[in-house]
Amino acid sequence: MSILTLEEITKVYEGKVAHLAINQLSFEVEKGEFLAVMGPSGSGKTTLLNLISTIDRPTSGDLTINGLNPLQLKSNDLSLFRRRQLGFVFQDFNLLPALTVEENMILPLTLDEQPVNVMKQKVKRIAEQLDLTSILEKRPFEISGGQAQRTAIGRALIHEPSIILADEPTGNLDSKATRDVLELLSNVNKRSNTTIIMVTHDPIAASYCDRVLFIKDGEYFNEIYKDDRRQTFFQRILNVLSLLGGNVNDLSTIRLS
Amino acid sequence: MTFRQFAYHNVIRNARVYAAFLLASIFSILVFFVYSMLMFHPKIEDQFLQNIAFGGMFTAQVILIIFTVFFLFYSMSAFLQARSQEFGVLLNLGMDNRQLNRMIFLETMILGFISTTVGIFFGFAFSKFFFMIIREMFLLDSLPLYLSWKPFVLTIFVFLSLFVIISFSSSVFIRKKNIVQLLKGFGRQNEQEAYSKRRAMLGILLLIAAYSLVILSLFQLKVYMSFIIIVLALVGTYLFYTDSVLYLLGIIRKRKNLYWRSFRLIAFAEGSIKIRENARMFFIVTVVSTIAFLSVGVVTSFTSFTAQYREMNPVSIFYSSNWDNPFEEEHVMKLSQELQQEGLSYELVKFTVKKQTSSSLRKEVNLIKESEVNSLAVALKIPLIDLQNGEAMIIPNTLEDYEGIRTEEEQTVLEESNIPIQIKGAYDQVIFPSLVIKDNSLIISDEDYELITEPLYGYGLRESSMTFYAFHVSEWLRTKDVGTDLDRVMTQSMGTSDVNPNSFYISNPGLNYSIIRATFSLLLFTGLLVAAVLLLAAGSFVYFKLYTDLERDKKQYDVLRRMGVTDRELVKIVNRQLIPQFFLPWGLAMVHSTFSFMYLQAFWVDLAAVSIVMEMLLVLVAFTIIQVSYFFLIRWRYITHIQ
Repeated sequence: MSILTLEEITKVYEGKVAHLAINQLSFEVEKGEFLAVMGPSGSGKTTLLNLISTIDRPTSGDLTINGLNPLQLKSNDLSLFRRRQLGFVFQDFNLLPALTVEENMILPLTLDEQPVNVMKQKVKRIAEQLDLTSILEKRPFEISGGQAQRTAIGRALIHEPSIILADEPTGNLDSKATRDVLELLSNVNKRSNTTIIMVTHDPIAASYCDRVLFIKDGEYFNEIYKDDRRQTFFQRILNVLSLLGGNVNDLSTIRLS
Repeated sequence: MTFRQFAYHNVIRNARVYAAFLLASIFSILVFFVYSMLMFHPKIEDQFLQNIAFGGMFTAQVILIIFTVFFLFYSMSAFLQARSQEFGVLLNLGMDNRQLNRMIFLETMILGFISTTVGIFFGFAFSKFFFMIIREMFLLDSLPLYLSWKPFVLTIFVFLSLFVIISFSSSVFIRKKNIVQLLKGFGRQNEQEAYSKRRAMLGILLLIAAYSLVILSLFQLKVYMSFIIIVLALVGTYLFYTDSVLYLLGIIRKRKNLYWRSFRLIAFAEGSIKIRENARMFFIVTVVSTIAFLSVGVVTSFTSFTAQYREMNPVSIFYSSNWDNPFEEEHVMKLSQELQQEGLSYELVKFTVKKQTSSSLRKEVNLIKESEVNSLAVALKIPLIDLQNGEAMIIPNTLEDYEGIRTEEEQTVLEESNIPIQIKGAYDQVIFPSLVIKDNSLIISDEDYELITEPLYGYGLRESSMTFYAFHVSEWLRTKDVGTDLDRVMTQSMGTSDVNPNSFYISNPGLNYSIIRATFSLLLFTGLLVAAVLLLAAGSFVYFKLYTDLERDKKQYDVLRRMGVTDRELVKIVNRQLIPQFFLPWGLAMVHSTFSFMYLQAFWVDLAAVSIVMEMLLVLVAFTIIQVSYFFLIRWRYITHIQ
């Protein structure tokens, strides 16, 4: 069963020079799938993520999330839709600096006006799962990047959304923290069958996914599915990337762990 | 591009950032210049007026400068802090520290030069208008515009040196940091909103103590108390902002049932950071607003004071003459002539007062004839009196005294002429100045008055009498130019004592009133201008703070919007963040000024007799309207920016 369907999605940025960011892109994401979207700089990855996040509207085409077409919702309902159906993880974490780790995680629940005991229970469970229990009272500037990203993942998970959208979640992390975060995402995906769509530059990050979708200049380029071993999957991803023919600079440093 | 051009472009192309700051400093310079224009005015010859003009303006200027220094220093360091990334880039490109300092100096001087020039230009343009207002207040004939180098030099000197000092001291902040720190920018969130519980408690306790002392003073007034109260209130207010508010918020934040509710989470957390950052500014704004409310309150209450003053001084011009006064006729003639010159109609009642010794009081008393009092009462349109033979009434010093002696009954004998009289209460009007009455004046019936034929022991007949002249002028406010020379002779010889060495006494409530009124109006006017400058400065600061935090706030609101916060809810969050910033200092200032007013009423008895509830309410409503519209203006700008 597909949880997300894109049909012929096109996005044109109007302006002095019109820019075609996404061109007739179609794909589906199955429920419980862990999908990576890769592509060189300027290929439209972030635009694509914004369209799926429903904070940007496509110029043409159709979008279905969990059986609903967000394009037909009013802006108010759209906000409520995002609040319940989507979770976000960002490259620079975007934790609210004024709030503690715990408060950052419960933020989506308070917006939804949930009872305090429910919030307490959920935050306790998630904190244990993400190993954040010891730093719940700390503020974002007092914790490491890995901890911050885990907090952000906790915030994205706490309201049990249908889809988690991650924009370069490992972009600001060192290799150890990167591995932790990716394993965590992978675990979450397997254990609670949460659908994850992750935009990334990093072939290592992509190698944790079930499927990698490559786009180039806003168009579908290729897709590959994971096989038994992560090492060979990683190698195949590298092959496609070199085929993609971007500049060498577009490929971030390759770390073989 | 030369170095100077670079500095110039930095300022000109950032005009939007500097706009509010420039506006505030221009206005401050404008007001300062106008004050100096009045201070050096060559046409003010009147000694008294000169004292007020010079002293008042000087004080206002000092206050203005102190607050302007605060404002400039605070704004400049905030500007530099906001631009730290830019400075980091410049230093990284190889600019040395000396050049950086020179650049900051040049930029500050450009700002200083622009604001001083524009401020003086508009100041000169508005001087005439200012003089017209002053002329109306002091009822002067003319106060022309003049051209002199003094106000220009004073303003330019004061403000340019101010800008030089500020530019040096504010750049110290930048110099202390190394390039990497500068490039990263100053993470403004990277400090805990630290507060100490002890200081928080102290702040609240000091405020409560100050308020309780005010209430105590209502019962028992001690002058030194005012200093204690002011110090307590100032320190208390400061601690209230730096610690107490955060402590109170901290208590709420510990109670998750209260705190973990939709927007409170964000609002409280952000709110405490903003309060911590702006504590000092809130403190200044509170003090300034309190002073502003208070001065406006005092002066608006003055309209009520007019009626009260009239009641306390019903006789428009009062002249009394002892037996040894050689100028009696000359003076009275002069007063009448002057009244005629002013085109004022008057009624004159002459009292011939006899002196006798009272047996019960064992001292000299003044005896006034019933029919003469009645003819004055007719003119003043107050109730007449009817005394039987042998009866007398005391003339009270003041209205308060009347309450104490209204039912007094006493048997006494006027010893020299041996006339027994029965004192039956007091007259319910204060018709004569207390200095003349001296607690020993009686009204007696005409028949008894005629019976007084013997002089005081040891004096001649002529020496045991005196004369009062009471001029009743219905347009009493216009008598301020009548009898001014006599008044001057008297005030100079008496000083501040209440012993009158002259053989005559004159009181002109119109003149006194005009002095009191002018002083108050000047106080109000200068106070309001200073308050306006400071409120504008505080406003510019709030604007600037919002502007520099805009990028960060935008990002934060973007995250929130992605997480599913609707636009309506976003406005609610903004409201919850902005409202405390605008209305917390204002609210505390309201409470402060209410208590200060209570204290002032205790302090100044004349004011206590005046009901000022209406006036105070009007002032508060006016300030509220201004503050609310200012809030909506800023909120509107802010929301358009973040959406």
